[in-house]
Amino acid sequence: MKAGLLALPRAGPAARWRSAFPLPAVGLAVVLAFLSLYPTAMLFYGSLTTVPLGHAGKLSFANYVTAYTDPGTFTVLLDSFVFAFGASALSVLLALALAWVTVRTNAPLRSVFELTAIIPNILPPLLIAISWTLLLSPSVGLLNVMLRGIFHVAQGPLNIYSLPGLVFVEGLILTPLAFLIMSGALRNMDPALEESARTAGAGHWQVIRQVTLPLMRPAILAAATLNFVRALESFDTPAIIALPARIELFTTKIFREALAAYPPNYNLAATYGVSLLVVALIFVALYRRFTSRVEAFATITGRGYAPHAIDLGPWRFAGAAVAGAILILIVVLPVGMLFFISILPFYQVPTLETLQHATLVHYTRIFHNDRVYRALLHSLFLAISGASAAMLLASLIAYVTVKTKIAGRGVLEGLTFLPWAFPGTAFAIGLLWAYVNFPLPIYATIWILLIGYVTRFLPYGLRSVTSTIIQIHREMEEAAWTSGAGFLATFRRVLIPLMRPGLVAGWIVLATIFMREFSLSLFLYTPSSEPVGPLLYYLWLDGQAGSVGALGLLISVISAVLIVVARRYGRLDR
Amino acid sequence: MWRRWALCGVVWIATAAGLQPVHAQTDLVARAKQEGRVAVYGSMESPIFEVIQALYRDKYGISVEYFRLATNRLLDRVLTEVRAGKPQFDVVLTNLSPMLIMKREGAFGKYTSPSYEAFPASSLDREGILSPPYRAVVISILYNTRLVRAAEAPKALGDLLNEKWKGKVVMPDPTQHITSAVWLSNLQSVMGSEYRSFVERLAAQAVLVDSFDPAMQKVVAGEYPLGLSYVKYVYVMGKQGAPLDYVRLNPVLAEVHNVAIAARPLHPNAARLFIDLLTSRLGLLALAQAGEFVLVPGIYPPIKDAGALHIRLMRDLDEQQLGRWRGEFGAVFRKR
Repeated sequence: MKAGLLALPRAGPAARWRSAFPLPAVGLAVVLAFLSLYPTAMLFYGSLTTVPLGHAGKLSFANYVTAYTDPGTFTVLLDSFVFAFGASALSVLLALALAWVTVRTNAPLRSVFELTAIIPNILPPLLIAISWTLLLSPSVGLLNVMLRGIFHVAQGPLNIYSLPGLVFVEGLILTPLAFLIMSGALRNMDPALEESARTAGAGHWQVIRQVTLPLMRPAILAAATLNFVRALESFDTPAIIALPARIELFTTKIFREALAAYPPNYNLAATYGVSLLVVALIFVALYRRFTSRVEAFATITGRGYAPHAIDLGPWRFAGAAVAGAILILIVVLPVGMLFFISILPFYQVPTLETLQHATLVHYTRIFHNDRVYRALLHSLFLAISGASAAMLLASLIAYVTVKTKIAGRGVLEGLTFLPWAFPGTAFAIGLLWAYVNFPLPIYATIWILLIGYVTRFLPYGLRSVTSTIIQIHREMEEAAWTSGAGFLATFRRVLIPLMRPGLVAGWIVLATIFMREFSLSLFLYTPSSEPVGPLLYYLWLDGQAGSVGALGLLISVISAVLIVVARRYGRLDR
Repeated sequence: MWRRWALCGVVWIATAAGLQPVHAQTDLVARAKQEGRVAVYGSMESPIFEVIQALYRDKYGISVEYFRLATNRLLDRVLTEVRAGKPQFDVVLTNLSPMLIMKREGAFGKYTSPSYEAFPASSLDREGILSPPYRAVVISILYNTRLVRAAEAPKALGDLLNEKWKGKVVMPDPTQHITSAVWLSNLQSVMGSEYRSFVERLAAQAVLVDSFDPAMQKVVAGEYPLGLSYVKYVYVMGKQGAPLDYVRLNPVLAEVHNVAIAARPLHPNAARLFIDLLTSRLGLLALAQAGEFVLVPGIYPPIKDAGALHIRLMRDLDEQQLGRWRGEFGAVFRKR
C-alpha cells in the first residue's frame, strides 16, 4: 500500500485538521533540525578553530592541514576501510548462513539458534571484545592453548592482536543485526520463483545460487552497508584490541587526540570526526537506497503465505552444526568467558587449577559500590526515558513522513538519519561544543547524555515504527476524526495503540542500546551522571576485571528484564 | 599591676593561639558535615583509595565520591570542566606533571593544610596551592613468577632488549599515558648516551596498552611474562594470589603525587578536611599499609625489599615538554 495514496486531500474534518497540520510538522522539523544540525555545525566549527572547547576563536584550516599532512592519516584511512569492509563481509556471511538454516530449512534446534539474534544485543560489545582477548591471546588464549595441543605448535596459532583479529571480533558483534535484516527478508520472500525453479528440475544448491541469493541481494547489500558504517564508527572493539596490535583506526585516533593526548586536542579530533562523517554519510545514503529496495521487494510480494521449508535430508544435521558453531562463537564463548572472569579472583585464563579459586567477591563488591549503584540508576533512567522519548519522536516523524503529503517531509527523515552517520566519538565532540555554553543547564548533566542518545539512535526507532504505521488503514483515523477527535486525541487514542508492536520493538532495541552505550557516553558523562558503559571501561583500566565481568552480566540481566516487561506490555491482546 | 595584666594578656593570647586550631578544626568538621560530601578526582587505584574513603567516612560521617581516571583522562576532564566554567570536583590528586599543568590553568585554589607542617619546608609549594608530595609511584619491571624464574628475570632495563623478550614485554603507550612518558624521558639521565638506542629498541620489543594497570593485568594473566608497571601491584595483586614479583632496579624511578583543592569547590570545607586527613600521618600510614610508597621517613609498604630500594624521584615535565616528548615517542612507538 502506497503512502501517497493515503494522503490524498479529502473533504470533511480530516481535511480540516490536516490543513492545519503543517504547523506541528514545522515544529517537529525545528526540533529535529536543532537536535541534529546544531551539534553537526559545532563539530565543523570545532574543526575550524584552534582554541579549546568553550572558547571563541578565529576560523582556520590549521587542523585540516595538520591532519592531512600527517602521512599516518592515510594509513589510518586504509586500515579503517579494511577493518570495516572485513567485519561487514564476515557478519553478512555468518548471518546469511544462520538465517538460511533457521528460516528456510528443516534443520533441528532452529529456535535455539535464533538466540544468536537476541543475546548479543544485551551484552555490552566492550565485554565481548574483552572475552575474546582471553580466548585468542596468542600466548594464553584458551582456544590457542587447545589448538597448540592439537597441532603441537609453540605459539599462537591465532592472534587476536592483529587486523584479522579485530575484523573477526567486530564481525561477530555485527552478525546479529545482519541476521535480523536477512531473516526478515527470507521470511518475506515469495516462494513461487524457487518452486518454479524446482519444478523445472533445479537442485537445492542451484536454486539457492540462481534464485534465492539474487532475490536476497538488496537485503544483503543493505546489511553489508549498514554494518560497514557501524564498523567504521565502532570504538568498543578497537578500544580493547587495536592498541596492543599497534593499529590506528579513525575512532581510536579521535579518542587519542581528544582524550588521551596531553594536552587534549578536541579540534584535531573534530577534524578527524568530520572526515569520517563525510565517508559515513555516503554509505548511509547507499544503505537507505538498498533498504528502500528491500521494502519495495517485500511490498510487491506481500501476500499471505509461508515460505517453503527446504528438506535437507541427512544434511539437516550439518546445517544445524553450522548454525550451532555460529551460536557458540557469538553467544556461548563470550558469555562463558565473561562468567569465568567474574568468578576468578583476578584476570586470568580459566583452567581447572584457577577455577579452584573461584569466588563471588566481585559480585559482593559491585553490590556494595555506590559508584556502580549510581551508574546503574543513570543507565536505567536513560534506557527507559530515552527510549520512550525517542519512540514518541519517531512515531511523530513516521506519521508525517508516511501518512501525510506535507512538502519537504523527506527532510525530516534526512535530519533523523544525519546524526546516525556520525561515529559516537565525533558526535559527542559536536555535542560538547554545542552545549558547553548553552543557556540551559545541559552540559555536564545527564540531559546531554539523553539528548545525545535520542538524537543519535532515533533512526532505529523510526525504522521500527515506520514498518508498523504503513500497515495501519486510513479508516481508523478517519473514524476518529468524524467522531470529532482532533489530531492529538486521534494520535494518542487510535494510532499509538495500533502502532504498539512497532513502538515496543523499537523501544526494546533502543533501551538495550542505551543500557550499555559506550562511545558517546565516554565523552559526555560527568561523575554525577556516569552511566555503566564508561564505568565498565574504567573498571577495566583500573584492573578490576572481575568486577567488569560481574557488572557486565548484571547489565545483561537488567536488559533481559526490560525486554520481557516491554514485550508483555506490547502484547496486542491486552 | 600592669605586669599582672600583661601576664594575663600573654596567657590569654597564648591560650587563644593554642586553642585556635582546635576551634578551627571543630568548625571545619561541622561545616564539612553540613556540606555532606566531597567529590574527588584522582588517578589512585580505586581499591587503594577505598582505604582513605573508609577512614574519612568513619571519622567524619561524610561520603567521598571518588572518580578514578587514568592520568591523562583526568587532566582532560579537569581542564574541560574548568575551561567550560563548570567544575564538578572539590579535590584533585594525581602525579606532579599534570598537577602543574592544571595549576597553571587555574584549576586549583590555595590551601595550606595543618598536616603540611610535618613535611620538610623545602617540599612546600611556594604559592600555597599544591600539597607537598605525599606519595610516590615507583616504576619497575614486573614479571610473572610462573613464567619467569627470579634468576632468569632481567636485572636491569637494558636486559629487556634481549632477543628472548621480543614481543614479551608489555608497557603503557607513552603517546597517550603521561606517567610513562615522564618515566621514559627521565631515563635519559639514567642511561646517558645509550638512551636513544634503548628507547628505539624498547619500542620495537614492547607491546602497548593504555596504562600501567592493564600492563600489570596482562602480566598477571600470563599473556606477557614481563611488564613495565608500578611496584605496588606486587603487593596489591599478591594479596589476591597473583604470581607477581619485581626487578630491583638501581636506581628505580618514581614520580611524586600531590593533592590540591579546586579553585571553586562545591564543598570547600569537606574538601579541606579531606586533604587534612589524606596528608596526615594517619592517612599516609593507611596508604602505606595498602601498598603505597608514602613520603614519610622510615615508613614503607609491605613489599619485599621496599626499604632497600634506591628510589630516584623523576623530574616533572611542562606542557611544551610533554608535547615534544609525545611527538618523539610517537615516531618510534606508533610504528608497526
